Amino acid sequence: MAKCCGDKNSQINASGPLEWFGKMIQNCFEYATQAKAKGKHIVGIMCEYTPRELIMAADALPVCLCGGSAEMIGPAEEDLPANLCPLIKSTYGYHLEKANPFLEMADLIVAETTCDGKKKMYELMNQTRPMYVLELPQKPEDSDAMAHWISELRKLRTKLQEQFDVEVTDEKIKKAITVMNRERRLRRQLAELMKSKSPPLTGRQLLEFKSNISGICADLKQYEKAIKFFKSQKTGSSKDSPVRVLMTGVPIVHGSERVLDIIESHGGLVVCMDNCTGLKPILEDVDETIEDPIVALAEKYFRLPCSVMTKNDRRMDVLRKLFAEYRPQCIVELIWQACLTYDVESYLVKKLAAEELGIPYLRIETDYSPSDSARIALRIEALFETVIERAGQSD
Amino acid sequence: MIYAGIDAGSRAIKIVVIDTKNMQVIATGLTDQGVAQDKLTSQLFENVLNDNSINRKDVAAIVATGYGRDAVSIADTTITEITCHAAGVCRLVPDARTIIDIGGQDSKLLCLDGGGKVRDFAMNDRCAAGTGRFLEVVAQRLGVELDSLGKLAAESRTPAAISSMCVVFAETEITGLLADGKAMEDIVAGVQAAIANRIVAMAGRKVDLPVIFTGGVAMVSGMEAALESALGKSITVSPDPQMTGALGAAILASRRFSKVET
Repeated sequence: MAKCCGDKNSQINASGPLEWFGKMIQNCFEYATQAKAKGKHIVGIMCEYTPRELIMAADALPVCLCGGSAEMIGPAEEDLPANLCPLIKSTYGYHLEKANPFLEMADLIVAETTCDGKKKMYELMNQTRPMYVLELPQKPEDSDAMAHWISELRKLRTKLQEQFDVEVTDEKIKKAITVMNRERRLRRQLAELMKSKSPPLTGRQLLEFKSNISGICADLKQYEKAIKFFKSQKTGSSKDSPVRVLMTGVPIVHGSERVLDIIESHGGLVVCMDNCTGLKPILEDVDETIEDPIVALAEKYFRLPCSVMTKNDRRMDVLRKLFAEYRPQCIVELIWQACLTYDVESYLVKKLAAEELGIPYLRIETDYSPSDSARIALRIEALFETVIERAGQSD
Repeated sequence: MIYAGIDAGSRAIKIVVIDTKNMQVIATGLTDQGVAQDKLTSQLFENVLNDNSINRKDVAAIVATGYGRDAVSIADTTITEITCHAAGVCRLVPDARTIIDIGGQDSKLLCLDGGGKVRDFAMNDRCAAGTGRFLEVVAQRLGVELDSLGKLAAESRTPAAISSMCVVFAETEITGLLADGKAMEDIVAGVQAAIANRIVAMAGRKVDLPVIFTGGVAMVSGMEAALESALGKSITVSPDPQMTGALGAAILASRRFSKVET
């Protein structure tokens, strides 16, 4: 069943864009090294709530620092509890081992109070690294929540100005917004290719179209090239078509793609990911017509439906919308071990799938170690058998 | 037409051969699992055919299931034990709505729509708590046979509280209970109740009746009573519980491959 994915792979490699993003880390490293040599500052970010535009407007490079390596977990557990999210542990392991070149280059790290694990980890990191933490309000419907978030972003602007001795003007922010809106639009267009009855990419390939550093001109050109290439391709026959899967839950950062790979090597095709490494941050653009760019940024970023929000009804709305557009046959929710907010909220996603969308749902809680891969594969296979039997009935 | 199902489990290999002429089981086989899984499976299959005078050429298709399914080289295809147990149990108990399957290293809970279709399922994650292996370790530690666990548990008046859900730590906990002079029957009853509670937690609040109990552990005396007590509902042990996975595999082989032929 998984054969079709392999065939697609060979087609795409010939096209170039995937090859370019296959060297993403290397590209970003060269880009950051050159920028640093020219006196630009590097700012590490830890979460999609941080508006990259503000950092770009301070003439600095925003670089994503989330850790996806299992190898960094061991060192991290010297300081952190074992029963903690692997993404937090891996990120912290890179910090201890000084193994992430981008973190080593960073002049400042901007983080925010999302989940408790991250928040407390930042305190430990802050012992030896410069860190600025935004306070993220967590009740999106509160009347004063937005005002608070706006004031947090204004404080970050001041911080960046002081730290880097630059002026972060409205004009510069607006320019950065234009670049980021373009990037979001391009990545959205790529993701939308998966709406097709016979998508030209696998979910894993789509995930490759990303960059740890946003707004790199060469990346944007490659996104454009890829869109053009895939749109011009004739879609193959949908004979022996794989099971269409919507993946939700936690982000799948670089190096932690194991469950996605298991799904796609057992007859599935991930047509849509609503997580922070998928559609969630790029579904909406920053409104360029709003006079005050800080307000515009605050409004866009605060709308991210992360499980740290209470209530997080927007996530269910997004799932309904994506279900209608991408027509998945089942939902697989990925939960990193000890990610309490996504884990508890999975109850609501399962309910949505069963009672409203009417498709099978599978929750997978795991970490970065491959020890349970065979057991995950068993559940994925059984899920697909259920889906195929249902499809057979409705024929 | 003749079809075979092979359930290559973690503790035993099970084979069921069916004839679709009148949907009868015409042969079965069972042996302990070992290191040379594929060889053991092929040998057992050969023996089952010889003992029942079935010609290999007459077997139209073979489906393998169980954790070792991918290592069965004689199989035409594989289907997960989740789907196979559902098919096997529903052949024997057509109106089943919930299946509890406890095997050597897995425990599963299946919710069915009518007609043996799996609607939802849950299974244990990384560890062997709540599985047959857990019971084996306990029996070994106490120096008793698996068969006698039910009889022992029935004698218990104050079951011990077993809090550890890890097989390794549970063994340590049992050592501690023995050192405290806790009676063997109370420890056995405590372990069986702990496994049953684990399964019930998997079920959430929705358990539709009838509940059918299958897998090798359904043959361990006392487990049925422990599950009924934890669930607060009556359950039925499947006929031939150790073989339902292989039976389901054989039935699904007949469905899948007869479709291909026509």
